[in-house]
Amino acid sequence: MSRVTLLLAAAVLGCAGPKAAVQSSPPTPPESPAQRFLRDPAAIERGRQIFIGTCGAYCHSTHDVERDAPSLFDCEWRHGGTDAEIFKSISEGVANTRMPAWKDALPQGDDDIWRVIAYLRSATTCRTPPASAH
Amino acid sequence: MIRRFLLGTALLGVCAAAPLGVAEDEKPKEQPAEIQLPPVPTHWKAEKPVGTSAGPVTAEMLSGSAAPADKWIQYGGNYRNFRHTPLKNLTPESVKKLSVAWAFPTGTTGQFEASPVVYGGVMYVTSSYNRLFALDAKTGELLWRYDHQNGENLRLCCGPPNRGVGIWGDLVLMGTLDAHLIAFDRKTGEIAWNVEVAKYQSGYSLTSAPLMADGMAIIGVAGGEYGVRGFFDAYDAKTGKLVWRHYTVPGKGEPGADSWAGDSYERGGSPAWTYGAYDPETDTLYWTTGNPSPDWDGDGRVGDNLYSDSLLALDPKTGNMKWYFQFTPHDVWDYDGNTQLFLVDTKLDGKPRKLIVQANRNGFYYVLDRTDGKFVRAEPYLEQVNWATIDKNGRPVVNPDALPKTDATFRTCPSNLGGMNGSFTGALNPDLGLAFIPSSEACQVFTKGIGAFREGLPYLGGLPDTVDATKGKAYGNLAAIDVATGKVKWRYRDNRPMMGGVLSTAGGVVISGTLEGEVIALDARSGKVVWRFRSGGGMRSQPIAYQLDGRTYVAVPTGSFSTMDSFAAGVTRVPEGGTLFVFALPK
Repeated sequence: MSRVTLLLAAAVLGCAGPKAAVQSSPPTPPESPAQRFLRDPAAIERGRQIFIGTCGAYCHSTHDVERDAPSLFDCEWRHGGTDAEIFKSISEGVANTRMPAWKDALPQGDDDIWRVIAYLRSATTCRTPPASAH
Repeated sequence: MIRRFLLGTALLGVCAAAPLGVAEDEKPKEQPAEIQLPPVPTHWKAEKPVGTSAGPVTAEMLSGSAAPADKWIQYGGNYRNFRHTPLKNLTPESVKKLSVAWAFPTGTTGQFEASPVVYGGVMYVTSSYNRLFALDAKTGELLWRYDHQNGENLRLCCGPPNRGVGIWGDLVLMGTLDAHLIAFDRKTGEIAWNVEVAKYQSGYSLTSAPLMADGMAIIGVAGGEYGVRGFFDAYDAKTGKLVWRHYTVPGKGEPGADSWAGDSYERGGSPAWTYGAYDPETDTLYWTTGNPSPDWDGDGRVGDNLYSDSLLALDPKTGNMKWYFQFTPHDVWDYDGNTQLFLVDTKLDGKPRKLIVQANRNGFYYVLDRTDGKFVRAEPYLEQVNWATIDKNGRPVVNPDALPKTDATFRTCPSNLGGMNGSFTGALNPDLGLAFIPSSEACQVFTKGIGAFREGLPYLGGLPDTVDATKGKAYGNLAAIDVATGKVKWRYRDNRPMMGGVLSTAGGVVISGTLEGEVIALDARSGKVVWRFRSGGGMRSQPIAYQLDGRTYVAVPTGSFSTMDSFAAGVTRVPEGGTLFVFALPK
């Protein structure tokens, strides 16, 4: 093995150290569709209209007001506050509550659920959305 | 249901005292044990027939022109729905001497909306979530009890109420939140029959007391927030056999179907969730209908949407319609037509008339000829009505600003709850010619959104933004209205919407209550409050009066549903929990 080869190997190993450390931390999760919609004003507006036409009225208030259905505009998430967890709550419903399962019920399926989540994120009164939102 | 209690902690204590010298690996495994308690009863029957020797409830008893003094045998007091007792000893002076004779807890939360029924010395009262109690009407002693085990995931827009039983022959009947109608032997609590009116999973529920007429139990479904096809049924009271069903939305090709765009009638709502009225003289049944679905987006159902928000007159033997009158064509505010009907005989312009009058949820007090449905007049009975005016034919002329919009800002009055609402009653004193109407004074911003129909899921299309309630600006009135003219004679104002029912007495008193937890009595002539009692629970029920062994009683269920209170009036601090108070005049 030549000296050059050794140096290259060391260089590789030297790089491998920090690289291995990066690999041991949790991988950056893929961006949820809600985050993509959050950059699209039309998608947020559709999410708002679905929320108004489907989720509000006697259930979730459009204001930061608690009824027996919780406010969705504060920092409190009873059943998980990541995009994926909120998607699960909307899609599958919440057992032993009035929250029904909306999977396949909205006109554009899962995408409409993600748009609702994008709207909730855009309209939150929570100053520091949970890091897990991303 | 088996109740299980883990006793691991207790077992650990026992094992800690194990004899010394036992090798660790020889010690018995410590496993939590369970104690299984017997199932909690849900039905307590009477071992011996309860009550007096009073015979079966008959058509003649129910057909009396006034509620009888010694009993209260139907939701409306009489078929005219006056909720007016002939007791003359309940006066503005005497009610100050009312005191609690007994009280009874329901053990449930949610609004306690019932009107008790009293017959044969027994009071039959239902709570939220369909508990039915038979109580000694003098002492409050529990005689029998049935706790209905409703199905899971009920489809309820607005809480878990029940408004009472019907009584006929020797049966009492209750509709349930999971859309069953159940008949009980009134003396023992045994179930006589139990029919499924509809699949509740599709969005149906029953909250009303059944109306008993011609040996039938007549009851309609709720579900206007789920896109159901509304209907009301007549069942043979003895057997539970369905006699007829009247759909409130026409089927394909039927008259009125062309008042719906496309196939929108198939999910047209128009529920029949409240109590009707019956005129034995002309053998005519009157029933009302609620909002078309979806509530707040009419774009997909262009047309008048018959027979939503209407009054229907029918032949009770067949369920066939004689005539109809639609209060709010193409409703986009949730102005259900399902408020209390009064059948009134009076003079108009010097001529005797048979009228039907109603304080509608849309804010107008309507006077119609009940023989043919012809419109006579409509007057606003609220202080705030701006969604429409009414033309000479009784049709609303809609204010375009009040229509729901995607970015609405206009405060529309009244709110979607009304005005008057079918979940509570008014009363009518025929001697004074006054109807007593509780109401909510609140406006909302009606916003249109995107709704989606799927069987059994909410189908709304928008929302009423409760701007007044949220800002604490919602309030209530109890108004005395001249029956024939619709003019308001007096108003009692409360800081929160008046959403409790009303009792009128021949002695000139009106009894109701407030959301803040007071039972109140007013002078029927002046509206002046003459008595208050702090019940603690919000008033959402229909009070009654009766007399037994010469003593006069007033029964007032109390307990509200904080979610609806908040929706109607802003966040409430009053806790839930049903309690029935029965007051008595001194012996």
